[in-house]
Amino acid sequence: MHRRFRLVAIAVSLAAVSLLRAGDWPQWRGPDHDGISKETGWTDRWPDAGPKVAWKAEVGLGFSSFVVAAGRAVTLGHGDEHDMVTCLDVATGKTLWKHRYPSELGDKFFEGGTTGTPTIANGRVFALSRWGDMFCLDAATGAVVWSKNVQKETGARVPDWGFGGAPLVHGRLVVLNVGEAGLALNRETGAVVWNSAPKAAGYSTPVPVTAGAATLGVMSAGNAYVAVNLADGKPAWSVRWLTQYGVNASDPILSGDRLFVSSGYGKGAALYRVGDGTEPVQLWKSKTLRTQLNAAVLFDGHLYGVDGDTTEKASLKCIEFATGAEKWSVPGFGSGAVTIADGRLLALGGTGELSVAPATPAGFVPTSRAQVIGGKTWTVPVLANGRVLCRNSRGDVVCLDLRKS
Amino acid sequence: MNDPILPGRRRFLRQAAMAGTAFAAAPFLRAADPTRRFRTVLIGCGWWGKNILREAIASKRVQVVGLCDVDTATREVAAEQVNDLNGDRPKTYNDYRELLEKEKPEIVIIATPDHWHALQTIAAARAGAHVFVEKPTGHTVNESRAMLRAARDGGRVVQVGLHRRIGPHHVSGMKFLKSGAVGDVGMVRIFAHGGGGRERPTPNAAAPDGMDWNLWCGPAPLRPFNPRLHPGGWRNFLDYGNGTLGDWGVHWLDQVLLWSGEKYPRRVFSTGGRPIAGPAVNDATGQTTDAPDHQVAVYDFESFSCVWEHRKFAENNAEKHRIGAYFYGTKGTLHIGWQDGWTFHPSDSKAAVVHEDSQLQQPDGHNLKLLWADFLAAIEDGKPAVAGIEIAHRSSVLPLLGMISWRTGRSVAWDGEKERIVGDPEADAMLSRPYRGPWVYPT
Repeated sequence: MHRRFRLVAIAVSLAAVSLLRAGDWPQWRGPDHDGISKETGWTDRWPDAGPKVAWKAEVGLGFSSFVVAAGRAVTLGHGDEHDMVTCLDVATGKTLWKHRYPSELGDKFFEGGTTGTPTIANGRVFALSRWGDMFCLDAATGAVVWSKNVQKETGARVPDWGFGGAPLVHGRLVVLNVGEAGLALNRETGAVVWNSAPKAAGYSTPVPVTAGAATLGVMSAGNAYVAVNLADGKPAWSVRWLTQYGVNASDPILSGDRLFVSSGYGKGAALYRVGDGTEPVQLWKSKTLRTQLNAAVLFDGHLYGVDGDTTEKASLKCIEFATGAEKWSVPGFGSGAVTIADGRLLALGGTGELSVAPATPAGFVPTSRAQVIGGKTWTVPVLANGRVLCRNSRGDVVCLDLRKS
Repeated sequence: MNDPILPGRRRFLRQAAMAGTAFAAAPFLRAADPTRRFRTVLIGCGWWGKNILREAIASKRVQVVGLCDVDTATREVAAEQVNDLNGDRPKTYNDYRELLEKEKPEIVIIATPDHWHALQTIAAARAGAHVFVEKPTGHTVNESRAMLRAARDGGRVVQVGLHRRIGPHHVSGMKFLKSGAVGDVGMVRIFAHGGGGRERPTPNAAAPDGMDWNLWCGPAPLRPFNPRLHPGGWRNFLDYGNGTLGDWGVHWLDQVLLWSGEKYPRRVFSTGGRPIAGPAVNDATGQTTDAPDHQVAVYDFESFSCVWEHRKFAENNAEKHRIGAYFYGTKGTLHIGWQDGWTFHPSDSKAAVVHEDSQLQQPDGHNLKLLWADFLAAIEDGKPAVAGIEIAHRSSVLPLLGMISWRTGRSVAWDGEKERIVGDPEADAMLSRPYRGPWVYPT
């Protein structure tokens, strides 16, 4: 309990500091890798017609989310047998540059297209394709700084739906969920720094977590959630986690010495105690939250996330982190995703309805909701600098202006 | 009835079936004990196998004693789910023969790829188990005949996963058809359409750790492992499945038999190809699927004609439906579909459209719960299974004949009594296929 209280206190103080900065979202799951935006002062009261649409754009087929930094929004999409990295001016929606490369559609049991999200760091864009094409691009121009195919170089097994995790930039490294327990490249050159066995990766993005003097990267393999020392790739701990087809897709959620993992296909969720040098200990296991794709978001002792698969009408749920007990459920939400900002859920349903509601275990009571986009919206909405970016699988993008005027 | 040869007349066939069923039911003719749990095993623990197993567990009438899959991780995932659901701790097996020998199951669920259905169903029936096997029955026609024979010889219930036979909107749609509301039906069009484009080879890869790929291929040709092929993709690799016609077509052809009461068509012609997907590839480096990206098959029945169509491109947005059957009658068109239920579009544009929603189990939109309950009732009460092997065999033959016509490029004349192709020895030989040793084609 004490530990959690301290973490909350730290989070609050960090949030206070960040008010002084632009509310960028430079990487998957946001500045702290937890799905929480530090934005405050945006409006959660919309007219019935919905929030103001700043602009619309088109970025190609796929499910990749956005990263936003220095006025640029970057994402991936697919069309005409190529993937495209698209950089948009976040104020106008104008395309600043595109980088195209030949790529497979990969439409196994879905419409295909890109699934991973790029990362922006130090004026560079890092992007990994489902098939191992890795690019470091100049964020201002899209010029290729370096590129390679990491799958061909390492012989790592391609997971059935391709590599899905976003690159994690950590110090001089860019760490990928490729191979059984990650692959680290030199950020400047792309040279391999450390590597793991060429077995199946999962689809999550490496999450950095401090453990004593070291920083661990926690990510999913095809049959486990693993932690490795980010400096050298050495394994720290591992939790065996078997999901149908090896679809360990949702990002692990870490809080102190607690690890929360969840997956779909009827699997469910579990909480572990990890990292004290002994084997991880399972604290609870439950089927109350089965996140097939997007991970839940942990806020104030509760998890908010989507329970169920894309083949059913998934529910939006709140469960208690410490126990797994269900607090509320919104049936029919669909396979969308949530972001939390300023204590409020920004929840995009599976078919394009966006809601804002207080993030509380007391219930889901939206203050506003609107159909902001059509089609299939499995991609998490991103809030940065008062603007929300939503996309559908076709690649239609809508930017909503939630700044208080 | 112990005649091991298929009778030449349908009446005989029906009598044999009834005799077999009665024999099967005899040991259970005491009043059904609702607390009795059947020793149950699953062979093939992937997506669909687990869907069936969940319904079996939900019925509270099974004790899951064994799980068999050639992939270690797949069977462990299934074992964990069983334990989560009902506390059973099934033993896991790589080889179904060992499973049958050690567990002596009363019920065997088979949800392996099509090329395994026959050998496993026959082995299970011979081991004295009742069988719930996925559709279509066989990968080739004579496998299906051998399955039928084994079911009769052993006097066991074999239920086939044609859940649309019992799905509520299918049943009510059939009732609507038979009420005469559609008028006289002279033609049926059945279809499954989707989107897609050109296909490029997926690189071959090592089989996953802990997977017995050689046993997965079993009696079928041994291809290099490829993630496009497994999991799930085998339906569009003709060594193991029969494309969309085998996968989806069998459901709708089964509906056509259910509606018409006819047993078989007189002639079948099919054409199709891969103009969009491109040439099939299977070389040292990679593979594509090899099933047609679109196909038309015409089934010439005595009192109506039936056309099957599938496309893996263009979707079908010019029409209202992507999947299902159109029954064209003198009073209008009845569409029986999937998630979209059934809809009657009257010829008279002023008459009201009639619609009924589907009532499916999610995820995946099926009616396995009802089919499983029917299976248990057939075991316990001796009533004919709604999708029993006698019926399902006839339905399963239809896509297989379509594929033979597609392969030969010729129309095939079908003697449905003898179950032989007439006047075309080459096509007739395709009712069977060579097996990879040491597996032996069943008779």
